[in-house]
Amino acid sequence: MSWLDGLSHRLRSFLFPGRQARELKDEFAFHLEQDERHHRLDAARARRRFGNPTVRREEVRAMTWGGRLDVIRQDLDHLRHAVLRDPGSVLLIVVTLSLGIGANAATFAVFDRAFLRNPAGVREPDGVRRFWIEHTRTGDGVPFRAQSLSYQMYRVLAGATGHPGNIALFATDFALHLGTGLSGPRVGAVYATSNYAQVLKVPIAQGRFFGPAEDRMGEDAGVVVVSHRFWLRHLQGKSAPLGDSITVGRRHYRVIGVMASGFIGLDLRAADLWIPLAAMPRSEGAGPRWWEEPVDYPFRAVARRPGGLEEPGFEERASRLMRSYQRETFKEHADTMVRVFVGPLIEARGPVPLGQDMVIMTRLVGVSVIVLLIALANVINLLLMRAEARRREIAVRLSLGIGRVRLVRLLILEALVLATIAGIGATTLGWAGGTVLRRLLFSFVEWTEPALDGRVALFTVAITFVAGLLAGIPPALQASRPNLTAALKSGARQGVRERAFLQRGLVVAQAALSVILLVGAALFVTSLGKVRALDLGYETRRLVVGTVEHADGDAPAAPAFEARARDVATRMAGVPGVEVVARTSIVPMWGYASTKFYTDRDSAESIPRPWPVYVSVTPEYFDAVGLRVVQGRTLSSEDGAPEVVIDEAMARGVWPGRNPMGQCLRLATRDAPCHTVVGVVGNSRLSYVIEPETTPRYYVRLDQKGIGGGPPGPVILARARPGTAALVARELRAELTAAFPGAAVEASTMRDRLDPEYRPWELGAILFSMSGALALVVAVVGLYSIVAYQVKRRTHEFGIRIALGAMTADVISQVVRSGVGTVAVGVALGLAISLAGGRLVSSMLFGVTAANPAVLAGVAAILLAAACFAAAVPAWRAARVDPAIALRDD
Amino acid sequence: MTPHRRSELVPGTLEMLILRTLSLGPNHGYAISQQIARLSSDVLQVEQGSLYPALERLLSSGLVKAAWGTSPTGRKARFYTITASGRKRLDAEVSAFDHVALAIARVLGRAEPA
Repeated sequence: MSWLDGLSHRLRSFLFPGRQARELKDEFAFHLEQDERHHRLDAARARRRFGNPTVRREEVRAMTWGGRLDVIRQDLDHLRHAVLRDPGSVLLIVVTLSLGIGANAATFAVFDRAFLRNPAGVREPDGVRRFWIEHTRTGDGVPFRAQSLSYQMYRVLAGATGHPGNIALFATDFALHLGTGLSGPRVGAVYATSNYAQVLKVPIAQGRFFGPAEDRMGEDAGVVVVSHRFWLRHLQGKSAPLGDSITVGRRHYRVIGVMASGFIGLDLRAADLWIPLAAMPRSEGAGPRWWEEPVDYPFRAVARRPGGLEEPGFEERASRLMRSYQRETFKEHADTMVRVFVGPLIEARGPVPLGQDMVIMTRLVGVSVIVLLIALANVINLLLMRAEARRREIAVRLSLGIGRVRLVRLLILEALVLATIAGIGATTLGWAGGTVLRRLLFSFVEWTEPALDGRVALFTVAITFVAGLLAGIPPALQASRPNLTAALKSGARQGVRERAFLQRGLVVAQAALSVILLVGAALFVTSLGKVRALDLGYETRRLVVGTVEHADGDAPAAPAFEARARDVATRMAGVPGVEVVARTSIVPMWGYASTKFYTDRDSAESIPRPWPVYVSVTPEYFDAVGLRVVQGRTLSSEDGAPEVVIDEAMARGVWPGRNPMGQCLRLATRDAPCHTVVGVVGNSRLSYVIEPETTPRYYVRLDQKGIGGGPPGPVILARARPGTAALVARELRAELTAAFPGAAVEASTMRDRLDPEYRPWELGAILFSMSGALALVVAVVGLYSIVAYQVKRRTHEFGIRIALGAMTADVISQVVRSGVGTVAVGVALGLAISLAGGRLVSSMLFGVTAANPAVLAGVAAILLAAACFAAAVPAWRAARVDPAIALRDD
Repeated sequence: MTPHRRSELVPGTLEMLILRTLSLGPNHGYAISQQIARLSSDVLQVEQGSLYPALERLLSSGLVKAAWGTSPTGRKARFYTITASGRKRLDAEVSAFDHVALAIARVLGRAEPA
């Protein structure tokens, strides 16, 4: 076993280095003695023939493990010194890198979950596909894609695959309350076909998933499978939960299984209950055999490959079948353009344009990369300066014979050690930032895992390593080939030019990248301002909206309902701070009702699109929500002839060029009683803060007989005096709770309700501003340190100039000009890149284009001003140099 | 720190020569150097000291073993013995060397093309 011989030899010399040294010494002595004797040499001659014994001994030592350890020990010693020397610059490097890496870790934590990671708990997730359907919007003919399916469409898709068992249908409902009534905690429930668990290959931890026998349409088997965390939280993790009963509203479900831990459904939001699709409550207005009706689209479908999906032309075949189904079902408005798409399980990667929050998410990745690049440029500069300060030490080491490879390795190791320290800081930053970021971006998701997990940690380690290498290599290469003679000479000032070029290049890059981020920030802030300034037609900040929601079948009969709502409104009118109270049936911007109508002249069909919709209101409504009266008056509170108030869009669309006042509107049928137009009010939003077109509206009285007041959800609107909205909301909530015991009551300002719509704009503005400010600070610090460093190197020169009579102002302006000049190059570069890359963010902007001259000029001015400041401080110090001291200084 | 090897041999050749010498029988360092000089008719001059790093390399890879013994002159000396894998390595090195040497000889026109 020869390798054992080698190993034992290595071990011996490692464990007993002293003995090895002694043996070598003896051996060398023996050798010399022999040589003298054999060749009759004198000792000196023999020694010459032998060579330098110390070198040989070192050579032997270097080959042993002990020798390797020596090198590592020396390197570590060097690193310790290097990190401890100049703690100021070390701190700056570590903090800068931490910010850069931390920003990326935080972004990755969120990006990974939304874009890269398959839903937890699904086995072989790459084999699961989602379905998308492309419809064509009636009216403008714009195609849009969605995952929404009706049960009948699912049957068509299942037929198209040829493997109906391999495609599962499900609908997720997050509005269920646990227990009777609506006071229990909300749970997410998935109504699914019985092959759901099998298609997804989700393991069941206990019990079983429901089978086909429990999923016969029209029968409620009353069984449920719960998530692992639901089992822990609500069933106390009992060892035998099976058979326990869960109450949701009026239904009771027997627990027959517990899902594997970690599986929370296919959405970002966690689901806790899985109920057979057959037990799904039918939606409002649907018949008892709702699954046969073609109007409900709450479902999504997933299938596992191959199962027919892999066959060539599957999408075409499915689209063809879907089209013929549509043609048969909707004879009047057959949407004949329907197409079927098959996409990946990760929803964000489906064949659909991303939502605003997702777009922000992807752009954030770019932003954090830019922040890291700026940080890197800065750290390279700082490391260059450190290396420069140690020029003489490095030259001494080189002339003493340290190998260049080892020197480069040492300097890179130094950067890696600094990066590792930064990486530890970055992990903390990434965890905190990721937590904040996902709460901001996906506020609706209850996250089950921490922002920092194995993948994020691994990513942070990888990026730390790469950053350390990138930051360490250029300074190491530069430092390892100094002009030895120049560096060793005391007080030498040569060799600055080349390094200054690299440093200036880095400043240019930082300035350019900062410009990009600042332009982005300015564009987002401008967009946010424009969105906020939009006139929705409502007085959103002072309008308090109160709603009542009853559990299935709990609602009182309509007359009682109506009476109680009226009582609440009357009492609210007396509350201090309330200006006016109104009632309506649907929360403004949260839905609408429409019906056919006829004017005396036109048939309904000739009314231009979009089709006018109506709102049922009490007469105080207009005053309460803040609608401006343009013409005539609002609805009268006395009973009398039917009246209607229309908005400007309706006046223009239905009676173009004519006076709408006194015109007749017949609702639902041609021979219905005439509603006389008594007034015209301003336009208002139908559903969204940003709407491409205005939908015409008309207002009828809430107690109007004939067309019905829409679904009976009493909505109380109270307009509060400025500054009292929160108080009024609390009062309204209390009143509603007292009037409708057991119901879920909500009261908040309309602005709060609309908050999710403003949020993406606010987020974009906040995130870009923060990163822009960060970039600016880092770039200014970088420029400052470089100018300060160069000024220090030129102290001698300034001393001579001042001694020769140079004016203080000359010295300052010279230093500032050179610093600002460098930044100006970067600014120009950054502006060019911003202009070219503008289209990447144009979809996220509102009311401003990427090539906005004011924005570009403003950013350039900010950066140049910052550069002036960063250069002026060291310049001023340079100008105060005492020539006597400067000239003495080496 | 890696000092320059001042041997005029191609790197690795010295190890091959040591193995060859030891394949004739165990020997101490000085004798090995003498034998290399003798066998090569004094053409290959080894700087004597550089022998020992080479020996250390062979020891570490288990190609030779070392033990202290008594020299014919009665002095304590370290004797090196070739191991089984040392012999194997020597065979491999020699045949590789033959291969290269033949190729060079052909290029130089000193041997018949294959």
